[in-house]
Amino acid sequence: MQRLYSLTPDLYKKMGKVILPFGIVIFMYPAVSLKAQTPSDGLMMPSKNICVLFSYDMGTFDRYWEGSYLRSNETIATVDRNMVLPMAAIGILDNLNFYVSLPYVSTESSEPNGGYFTGARGFQDIGFALKYRPIRTELGPGRVSFLGTAGFSTPLTNYLSDYRPYSIGAGAPEFSLRAIGQYELKNQLYFRASAAHLWRGYTEAERDYYYNDGSYYTAWMDVPNAWTFETILGKWLFDTSLKLELSYSNLTSTSGDDIRAYNAAQPTNKVEVDRIGFSAQYYFKSIKGLGVVAYHNRVVNGRNTPKMSNTGFGLTYQFNVIKKQTDEENAQ
Amino acid sequence: MKKMRNNINVIMLLAALVIGLISCEKDTPQYLPYEGYAYSELTINGGNWTPVLQSAGDAIAIDTPSSSDSQEYINELEEVKEAMANMNSNQKKAIKYWTNNPAVRWNEIALELIAKYNLIPGPNDDGTYTLPNSSNPDGPPAFPFAHPPYACRALAYMSVAQFDGLISAWHYKYEYNRAAPFQQDEAIEFAYEENDIPSFPSDGAVVARVSKNILSAMFPLEVEYLKQMEEEHLESLMLSGGNVMSDITAGLEIGDAVSETALIRAAGDGMRNAQAPKAVSDSIKQAAYDRFGWAWDNLEIPERPVGLTPLFSQVTMWSIDDVESVRPIPPPQLDSQEFLDDVEVLKDYAKNMTDEKRRIANFWQDGLGTYTPPGHWNRIANEMIVEYKLNPLQTTRTLAYMNMAIMDSGISCWDAKYYYHYPRPIQMIDGFETIAGTPNFPSYTSGHSVFSAAASEVLAYIFPEEASTVRAWAEEAAISRVYGGIHWSFDATVGTDQGREVAQYTIDRAKADGADN
Repeated sequence: MQRLYSLTPDLYKKMGKVILPFGIVIFMYPAVSLKAQTPSDGLMMPSKNICVLFSYDMGTFDRYWEGSYLRSNETIATVDRNMVLPMAAIGILDNLNFYVSLPYVSTESSEPNGGYFTGARGFQDIGFALKYRPIRTELGPGRVSFLGTAGFSTPLTNYLSDYRPYSIGAGAPEFSLRAIGQYELKNQLYFRASAAHLWRGYTEAERDYYYNDGSYYTAWMDVPNAWTFETILGKWLFDTSLKLELSYSNLTSTSGDDIRAYNAAQPTNKVEVDRIGFSAQYYFKSIKGLGVVAYHNRVVNGRNTPKMSNTGFGLTYQFNVIKKQTDEENAQ
Repeated sequence: MKKMRNNINVIMLLAALVIGLISCEKDTPQYLPYEGYAYSELTINGGNWTPVLQSAGDAIAIDTPSSSDSQEYINELEEVKEAMANMNSNQKKAIKYWTNNPAVRWNEIALELIAKYNLIPGPNDDGTYTLPNSSNPDGPPAFPFAHPPYACRALAYMSVAQFDGLISAWHYKYEYNRAAPFQQDEAIEFAYEENDIPSFPSDGAVVARVSKNILSAMFPLEVEYLKQMEEEHLESLMLSGGNVMSDITAGLEIGDAVSETALIRAAGDGMRNAQAPKAVSDSIKQAAYDRFGWAWDNLEIPERPVGLTPLFSQVTMWSIDDVESVRPIPPPQLDSQEFLDDVEVLKDYAKNMTDEKRRIANFWQDGLGTYTPPGHWNRIANEMIVEYKLNPLQTTRTLAYMNMAIMDSGISCWDAKYYYHYPRPIQMIDGFETIAGTPNFPSYTSGHSVFSAAASEVLAYIFPEEASTVRAWAEEAAISRVYGGIHWSFDATVGTDQGREVAQYTIDRAKADGADN
């Protein structure tokens, strides 16, 4: 038992950190979807382990930035977007993890609104990510880790990306590369920073003309690439069963146009997002492998993006896929 | 360690593969990709055709050109050769861009400006709305709001003036028969497919000047941009080897004269009063309510006090004297079985939206921020013009009659809209939601249906091989509004009939202009 207890929180910790970035970061809003942002944590799940996450995310906004002008718009009133996110993380090697996720998203306006638009719903993009940890070593009073992740996501259904603000995603394939560095003190206070570049492809509209600082005679819209940066301050409490994190993240498109006056957003927009967040994750000691997570984020500044706040809850469960090995561990 | 390196290799390989997959550049053209062509016909008798605004091709007088063996002309040829010898890469690009059928390019410029200015003013903080004002074009909101009535009118005036101007140009071309520089001097190589059309006066210069003048009047904030585009175009006329300076100067004279005539008509056509004040708008609404027992309401928040251009119906038509003579039959009573059945049809479309219906609704939506339905049909016309290799005179004839028919049909449509003042689906069906934006004007008849039917009829007349195709597109554009949830079925079907009927007046006029002889 002694061995089990000492082992399990560590697994939970790894599992939880793996999952959280997905749960929090994924669909703030289609225009600024950070969905393919691969797990940005600093730890790995051991080989032959699988962790599943099921979370529910409630996002809402009643103002958005039209260019840099923060406005409300009674045509859409308050827009809610709810998401159910199933995800799995798989430990291939101790230093190589694989992730797959597939969110279901629904959007709608509050009533009354002046636009009478119907919302949208459906499965969004299927995402895959590989994370690799080349370095983890003791350094000074703590331990430093460096990791790299590569992610890919692509729309699973033919949802319409050109239906802002209700569209459930950007509708384009995305490839991302992320570098992560973490430093954790002996007292389990840690700081993590990551930077990623997102290469976005094109999304296909259902019209073959659009205006993007000029005419475009095609249904293909170029979804701008983007940089994201994230910093996290975290702390483990209560014998590594509760984890608290404060986060600040930024996304900046490298190109794109502004939303025009009182006009709808479109996938070609240049998006900037500054966001802060808080999360808490708790691992039950009584039920092996089970954890809960709750978080809240809000966009504090931006460009061509909703001033979105989102809150989510999730359940995580980790298990060892090789029963025999688990039995052996239990026996110990 | 070796294992780790293998893993890294696998990751790198995957990464390279995925980047390759998503980063493949797509072609996103900003204008119709053509670089000129050999005209299918020269329409040598085009100078005798009947213009729309002028009495005849010779109504605009220009000076007799110098003969091609005069020293003056020889000097002009030298000027062309010297300019061509010193071309930079931007000038070469400009020649490719403008082509030997630049009316299509100017039409695209008009479409781009329409899309740029097709933005509905939002509410002020106190819930009021400010209308764009031509005497304060900077706004906010900027002038104009290039909505479909505004767009169709801008396109009509530009196309008609281009057509009239080119009839004059053709008249003098074959009166003076001064061959083009590339035919006068073997050292001059024409940038486009050669033809025997005389180059005095320059048809390109007519098109450039007319387009610049009309669009500058319609989009006053774009004067500087349009001037730059005109300069680039005029320069390319000479650098292509197609025109000497006196060809261009004569073309500009014609362009100035014909656009002045067009803009005088535009100033007095009633458009300035189309956006009626609230009192007038209210009385129009009350009259409909008294007559029929219903009235359309704007449901936006805050409510817009006046619908879009209630008096567009009073704008002078091109081919019809009395707009009421083509007014469609009344829509169904709100308690009639036909109406109740249609409520069920709309509910069913909304509830059982299919990929195909959604695609059609979006493809033809041409809503705010786009080139509008009239613009969409100009784009279709441009593509056919290039495909059928029309010469500039045939091109502007096509665009002129199509845009006259579109504008007439729009005026007739707006007459029906505000005479019948019929409610939209969101007003009549509780809890109804749409996938398209409900516009700020009454439902019956559908503007898309009327515009599209009119445009397709003119295109069917010009391109008989395409008749069934374009008519089917027009019907699809009409039903797209029902799929979108913003129109009743009868708005679309009656609107299609209305557009076809109205277009016939312009087609009859086209058939009599001499081009078919």
